[in-house]
Amino acid sequence: MKSFEFFEPTTLAEASNLFAKEHAQLLAGGTDLVIGMKAYTETPASVVSLEKIPGLTGITVDNDNSITIGAMTKVREVELSNDIRQHHTALAEGASEIGSIQIRNLATIGGNIAHASPAADTVAGLLVADAQVNIASANGERSVPINELFTGPGQTVLKPGEIITQFRLPNPASGSHYIKHKIREVMDLAFIGVASAVDVQNGVIEEARIGLAAVAPTPIRATEAEDLLKGKRPTPELLQQAGEAAAAATSPISDLRCSAEHRKEMVDVLTRRTLQNALDRA
Amino acid sequence: MSDYSVVGKKLPRVDAVEKVTGAAQYGADVHPAGMLYGKIVRSKHAHAKILSIDTSEAEKLPGVRAIITQDDVPSGRRVFATDKVLYLGEPLAAVAATDADVAEEAAELIKIEYEVLPVVQDVMESIKPSAPRLHGDETKDGPHRRNISAEIKELSSDQEEDNSDEIRKLQAELEKYSDEVYYNISAETHNEAGDVEKGFAECDIVVEDTYVIPRVHQTYMEPHVSVASADSSGKITVWASTQGPFAIRSGIAGTLGIPLTQINVIGTTMGGGFGGRFGVIITHVPAVLLSQKSGRPVRVQMTREEEFLDGRPAPGCVIKLKTGATKDGHILARQALAFWDSGSVSGASIGSTIRVRGVYKIPNIKIDAYGVHTNKSGTAAYRAPGAPQAIFAGESQLDDIAAQIGMDPVKFRLMNMREEGDSVPAGGSEPKVGYKETLEAVADAAGWWDREADDNQGWGVAVGDWTNGCGPGGVYVSVHEDGSARIFHGSMDITGTDTAITQIIAEILTVPYENVTIRRGDTDSAPYSTGSGGSVVTFTMGNTAKLAAEDARRRILELAAERLNTNEDNLELKDGAVHIVTADPPKSILLGELAAYSLSTTGGPIVGKGSFARQPSTPALAAQIAKVEVDPDTGRTRVLKLVASQDVGFAINPMAVEGQIEGGTVQGYAWAMMEEMQYGDNGNVNPGFVDYRVPTSADLPTVESVIVEVPAPNGPYGAKGVGEPPITPTLATMANAVKDAVGIRVTELPIKPEKVVDALKNNGHGA
Repeated sequence: MKSFEFFEPTTLAEASNLFAKEHAQLLAGGTDLVIGMKAYTETPASVVSLEKIPGLTGITVDNDNSITIGAMTKVREVELSNDIRQHHTALAEGASEIGSIQIRNLATIGGNIAHASPAADTVAGLLVADAQVNIASANGERSVPINELFTGPGQTVLKPGEIITQFRLPNPASGSHYIKHKIREVMDLAFIGVASAVDVQNGVIEEARIGLAAVAPTPIRATEAEDLLKGKRPTPELLQQAGEAAAAATSPISDLRCSAEHRKEMVDVLTRRTLQNALDRA
Repeated sequence: MSDYSVVGKKLPRVDAVEKVTGAAQYGADVHPAGMLYGKIVRSKHAHAKILSIDTSEAEKLPGVRAIITQDDVPSGRRVFATDKVLYLGEPLAAVAATDADVAEEAAELIKIEYEVLPVVQDVMESIKPSAPRLHGDETKDGPHRRNISAEIKELSSDQEEDNSDEIRKLQAELEKYSDEVYYNISAETHNEAGDVEKGFAECDIVVEDTYVIPRVHQTYMEPHVSVASADSSGKITVWASTQGPFAIRSGIAGTLGIPLTQINVIGTTMGGGFGGRFGVIITHVPAVLLSQKSGRPVRVQMTREEEFLDGRPAPGCVIKLKTGATKDGHILARQALAFWDSGSVSGASIGSTIRVRGVYKIPNIKIDAYGVHTNKSGTAAYRAPGAPQAIFAGESQLDDIAAQIGMDPVKFRLMNMREEGDSVPAGGSEPKVGYKETLEAVADAAGWWDREADDNQGWGVAVGDWTNGCGPGGVYVSVHEDGSARIFHGSMDITGTDTAITQIIAEILTVPYENVTIRRGDTDSAPYSTGSGGSVVTFTMGNTAKLAAEDARRRILELAAERLNTNEDNLELKDGAVHIVTADPPKSILLGELAAYSLSTTGGPIVGKGSFARQPSTPALAAQIAKVEVDPDTGRTRVLKLVASQDVGFAINPMAVEGQIEGGTVQGYAWAMMEEMQYGDNGNVNPGFVDYRVPTSADLPTVESVIVEVPAPNGPYGAKGVGEPPITPTLATMANAVKDAVGIRVTELPIKPEKVVDALKNNGHGA
């Protein structure tokens, strides 16, 4: 690993100023950064740890059932939180798919998102939770919807010095589910990831959200498929149409893991499956 | 089942505590004072001319103590590429520096100019005239052309008659096989028994297919590492992570022209080997050269990425296989044409193609196998080298024939298996081997005969054969005044072999197992020992240990006869003491007392010596059954049950044997379902554990092991080598189970979800 300067600021403003400098990197859980540094693919001049800044961890539930997750919350905590499991099952399931338990005890949800991998396992769950991403910098705070955060692989709308502080999950949908298409049972990267969340009133789908990972340069919502579902009673035909619409919304690549065609097909299959499971849970 | 008190028992491994506590010293734990960090500079292209190598900038970097290229190899033996590189990651130079980061930086500062050349990665492309030639223009003929050419040669050499008409006809015949002129061939082997043409003509059913098996890495946990120290007298010490310290000693001596005994190789605890840890020039030779040049100890340690780029993995291959049988189930003929991907150098285990014959009575067989050069690193052994590939083809095709005949796959195999006394194609006759017993045992244990399967579930069976190697070894055993015994030898522990040796010696000397300790010496101190590969150790060192213990027992009885004033015939060694059989009241003397007494005798201390080189081995069989469930929509396959039986001769330590059966079976499962080194136009594209997947314990249920014991006449207590056989049938076991579950025959491994989904679509079974 190349030598670097290490900072442990205790305030967000301080961290933001340090992070705004050239070749500075933020250290959250370190499960991406440190591996990259050891392999010389990441060679930051300075590393700014978020560890000592108070208020960035924990999961809190507000009176209206909305949930706030601190960006430095360990993925393992998200996975095991009863509140997340109950209200945002897809997110808990996504968290449970990341690496090994040892990795999940280190990795943070903020890091998983800020790394901006199209295949991140928590992203589909956050998409269908309609999460808001709270961002802080020395110049103040702002909030962007999760589906507007990403601009490309490894790219986000975050400006120099901006730090993700929290994810705000509004009033939850009544059922959700995440499936990761992979080869290995655990510790695999998502070939694709699909999350669905639904609200059902009197047998009619009131709200439907479908989040897709690793099928486009950024994680996406399958809005046409969502629109197809809303206001209708679920039938196998309807779910099939939704699956096809979701697949049509993707623009996957072929790579050494699988072909673009296979990814599209699996979006179709797994959209139907996650919708069915989300409906069963609703 | 046996009368033994130590062998045949599930005893804890002798190295369990040091492994569990982390006390075991691996290669990377070695850190002599003043040690430098070595780094190998590697090619960034899969095929290129080297125009220049400029080390001047790197030399100026503070902390750099030595830089070497091929110019620094006095013997001239190829350690680094000079004119041309043939694969991504091929070594070009090496640096040694005061810390790993400086070494890394220096490696980057070495400027190499390349002229990039066209690349060929697929063996079937490489044999074509359009492929770039990796080692010159020489060509080889395929099987038909070879026969015709041989006939032409014979006719031409006929001095008595004029055969020119016939020769012209044959030359015209050659034109029919214009696609059988193969390029980039590194080696070839041909075997024939009976007459396959005639055999196929008599068959009712003939099945033909092409099987493609990927190159896979041994993925031992510990990457290659070597620490070398050359002192001012020229004496060289190498701490080597290797399966064969003596082979490394002679390898370094030969490569660098150093007298053999001027090199001392100290084998460090091995983090897995599987056949891939015999290489001399991968890290050991560069470490020695860097130490000689810098005058300091140097460690050269590969990263996992370097392991994938420049390790010596198992070769992939393409096998065209044809099998014929009568409708009542007799296999009459089998023919294989195989192309093995040997990478940039020869060395792929092409001879293992003969394993397609299996353990069956096949009267007519013909094998043509070629090693083919591609722009990849060379290959090496991996657990039963070559057998899993050949047996995948053979056992997959057997199932298809059984299905066409309408016979149960287990019964079909049982019916065709060779029996004791049957002639063996290679010559001689079949010894007593538990072929049928092993297959029957796995079928019974798995519940094959009343198997059930829900939708998309299926059962697969396959068997694989292998014979352990054998080699020279030496063992000393001493008995001490406290009655304990100590073993001294030079063989690397692999898979618990030190434990087996210890059990054998404890058994014979009747010393409690925990009072027998084992020490491994380096090549300066220990007697010669063959490398720990080819399932040789328990067979070879077990026999050697027996001889050593029996030698010690002779001295013990001699001492006891002297001490107790009796004839040796009246004596019995039992429970750590020598007893006079006929004495009433009983009279005995403890081993410790005898050891103390020995120190003041003319004959001297109790030291047993065993020395052994060779005895014929007996084949072993592994038989496996899997039950799987395939998700037809996603193509994912889940193993519900995996049962593995093996004829081990005699299990010296059944727990260790079960470990071997489980480990080998899981590696076979991995090769079938997920492992695959992938190559693009510029070499390996998945050089790490993110995209080279090895299974975890979550991927499959516990392998159920079934030990079958049909003793090997020359094995210690009847034992056979157990390490390699269990990987051999699993590839076909899995493919056969998937076929049974969803009706698709996967001939190209691994059985990835996408392949399953696509195959289902093509067969019209898809979702």
